[in-house]
Amino acid sequence: MSIKSGYFKQHLHVDLTKGTAERRPIADAFIEKYIGGRGFGAKLVWDNLKNHDFKIDPLGPENLLVVAPGPLTGVYLPSSGKNSFVAISPATGLYGDSSMGGGFGIELRQTGTDVLSVTGKAPELSVLFIDNGETTIIPMPELKGKSCLEAEGMIKERLGTHAVHVATIGIGGENTVRFACVNTDWSRNAGRAGMGAIMGAKNLKAIVVRGHKDLPVYDVAGLVAEAEQAFKYMEEHKYFKLWQQEGLMNVIDYANEKGILPTYNFKDSVFARHDQINGTTMVNRYKIGDSACFSCPMCCGNICLVKSGKYTGTVVEGPEYETCAMLGPNLGIDNFAAILSATRLCDELGIDTISTGSIVGATIEGYEKGILSLSDLDGKEIAWGEEDAILELIQKIAHRQGIGDILADGSYRIIENWPEMDKIILQVKGLEQSAYDSRASISMGLAYATSDIGAHHTRAWTIAEEMEEGQNWTNDEKVDTVIYHQKLRPLFDMLGVCRLPWIELGLSEQHYANFYKYVTGNETSLEELLGLSNDIYDLTRLINARLGVSRKDDTLPYKVWANPPLTGPNAGKVIGREDFQKLLSLYYQKRGWDENGIPPAEVEKKFSD
Amino acid sequence: MSKKLTVIPEQCSGCRICELVCAIKHFGVNNPKKAAIRVLTTYPQPVVRMPIVCSQCKVPACAQICPTDSLRWIDGVVQLDEEDCTSCYKCVEACPFGAIYIHPDYDLPIKCDMCGGDPECVKKCPKGALRLIPEAALGESRRLNNVLSYTQMKEIEFYEKGEKKVIRYAEVGKEEL
Repeated sequence: MSIKSGYFKQHLHVDLTKGTAERRPIADAFIEKYIGGRGFGAKLVWDNLKNHDFKIDPLGPENLLVVAPGPLTGVYLPSSGKNSFVAISPATGLYGDSSMGGGFGIELRQTGTDVLSVTGKAPELSVLFIDNGETTIIPMPELKGKSCLEAEGMIKERLGTHAVHVATIGIGGENTVRFACVNTDWSRNAGRAGMGAIMGAKNLKAIVVRGHKDLPVYDVAGLVAEAEQAFKYMEEHKYFKLWQQEGLMNVIDYANEKGILPTYNFKDSVFARHDQINGTTMVNRYKIGDSACFSCPMCCGNICLVKSGKYTGTVVEGPEYETCAMLGPNLGIDNFAAILSATRLCDELGIDTISTGSIVGATIEGYEKGILSLSDLDGKEIAWGEEDAILELIQKIAHRQGIGDILADGSYRIIENWPEMDKIILQVKGLEQSAYDSRASISMGLAYATSDIGAHHTRAWTIAEEMEEGQNWTNDEKVDTVIYHQKLRPLFDMLGVCRLPWIELGLSEQHYANFYKYVTGNETSLEELLGLSNDIYDLTRLINARLGVSRKDDTLPYKVWANPPLTGPNAGKVIGREDFQKLLSLYYQKRGWDENGIPPAEVEKKFSD
Repeated sequence: MSKKLTVIPEQCSGCRICELVCAIKHFGVNNPKKAAIRVLTTYPQPVVRMPIVCSQCKVPACAQICPTDSLRWIDGVVQLDEEDCTSCYKCVEACPFGAIYIHPDYDLPIKCDMCGGDPECVKKCPKGALRLIPEAALGESRRLNNVLSYTQMKEIEFYEKGEKKVIRYAEVGKEEL
């Protein structure tokens, strides 16, 4: 193995407290082992933890925020526009990462930077401007309180150019809402794990990049030939046009049919009025255009406009499935225009739509069940489907007003304040669960329980396969599939590309090993790459274990054990605790971790370089 | 050449594959900043995704201002004579569409050469937002769309061999005449 191209071998490290920016060379051995994206991020976060004796306040100046595209980001292959944000998460206090699409990662690479890390805290609200080789920290206190969209516009105006890419936070990030996101290209977000709150805590309103460098590729002709095959495969796929048309919104009907659609805070898993908020309704009544991340033929983004009624004039890119499910059925909202309005509001405020939908849903149910009193809600009633009250509560969360101040701190603080909410809110390790109901699929439960960032489907999404396989799926197969997903899906985040061509259109993962080979000149097999990705999974587990995680934390929300969905194909289904523990033991065994979920001592030695 | 590279911005998703394939074709590098076509995006007001590329004007503003006559309209393409060009970039400023580009690695202005009649960007656009159409057909779809949007369209549903069908027709209101 040897790396011949694909990298600038430059790590840009910025200290906001000292106001310094330093370019550090990256060694070949580091590149080969950690690849990029989340791999670089996990290693830098691990080193930073060691330097701080494993005591890091996620919102303290010492928390290192890593921004890392991968070696494939921005080159000619399907959907190469991804970029990871990695740090200790303010939502979980553990390892956290989130990736964003759009064009930011490409532009960051074009400045000649493989990875950016930011530490410290700026004395006043500032913007980090990486302009090719030059890095400056520009105080811009005038951006205080500005929405993500306004801030992006103001920054471009101040710098006198539209030809930059901006990753910005909204008021949610400024107010360190623990599920604040980082927004780029106005509507693409690094949504989960609270990366926006870290920027807010650092007084860093935005990172702006402008670069013009060629992206290093070892064998351009080889890459182009491989990419053409992949593009051709995708364009000939029977669902390709559907993806262009509906994007992830086509999942609403599927999720409803299968009984995994979060409805009324997961009290149910089918939504009677799902046809009012599905992809077809969106295309027929609201959609005005397509939106794609860099080099993506699938263009899963939908630009929607509300043309009549009280939300007239609302323009938003989205929603995608998770957003629509969590801000729609999960809150009892059947008015697609209201969902669009809530999505736009979350984009402006810069808060994660999944966590927001989950927490608002839990609040409604908490009030319904009498756990939250009217005075807890600042005297404002809230109920399923009440659009005005829901939109107001979202505002209060981002602005930390009244009850919003507690909700903004996420699940842990809510449970601390109202212990009975533990039975209402769906979270794992402090991260709210995304929009697939695991009661229908124990392997999905295992995926949520063992995901390194909390209850998110990014690491493994086995629910569709389990429902196809049904009862015939053995425990071995379930665990193997979860582990395979946990190797492959994070590999996309290391390479800096999107996983949708693979998961949704079945593009062979073998292509990615070939892309990697043509870009870096490094003859590596898919198995070797998956091995490296698996090492990173061990590393993030090691980080979490050092921060106190063990078997007791690899668990599921109370409802998954105790409250089955009321109707639909999965009515009455829950996951049995014993079944789950059996599966978890098998999972640890296959991973080579001990009965308590702790990786063996030799794992740590791997990362002592 | 009687074919024109035309842009249908309503179809554009902003994926910038056109930029990448243009740069790869002409410079052999993965660098969208070396493309002769760029997608300009504005959002949210107005929502626009507009690929900007040379229109190969028959009376080219770039050629008129060029002090060394290095730009000439030949056989449907405004061609740059690389020998005579002094890289003054007057053409970049003069183009009414901003469709000529500059990159710091390279002295000459970067402009579309139609890939010798078979533009790479048209072939690779996944949305059909870039088209190569005969000059004579220019504006046809616009005309049709405009006519459809100016008139009041009505619908009648009817059944043919048991299958539901819809016919649309224009009815211009009497009061509007």
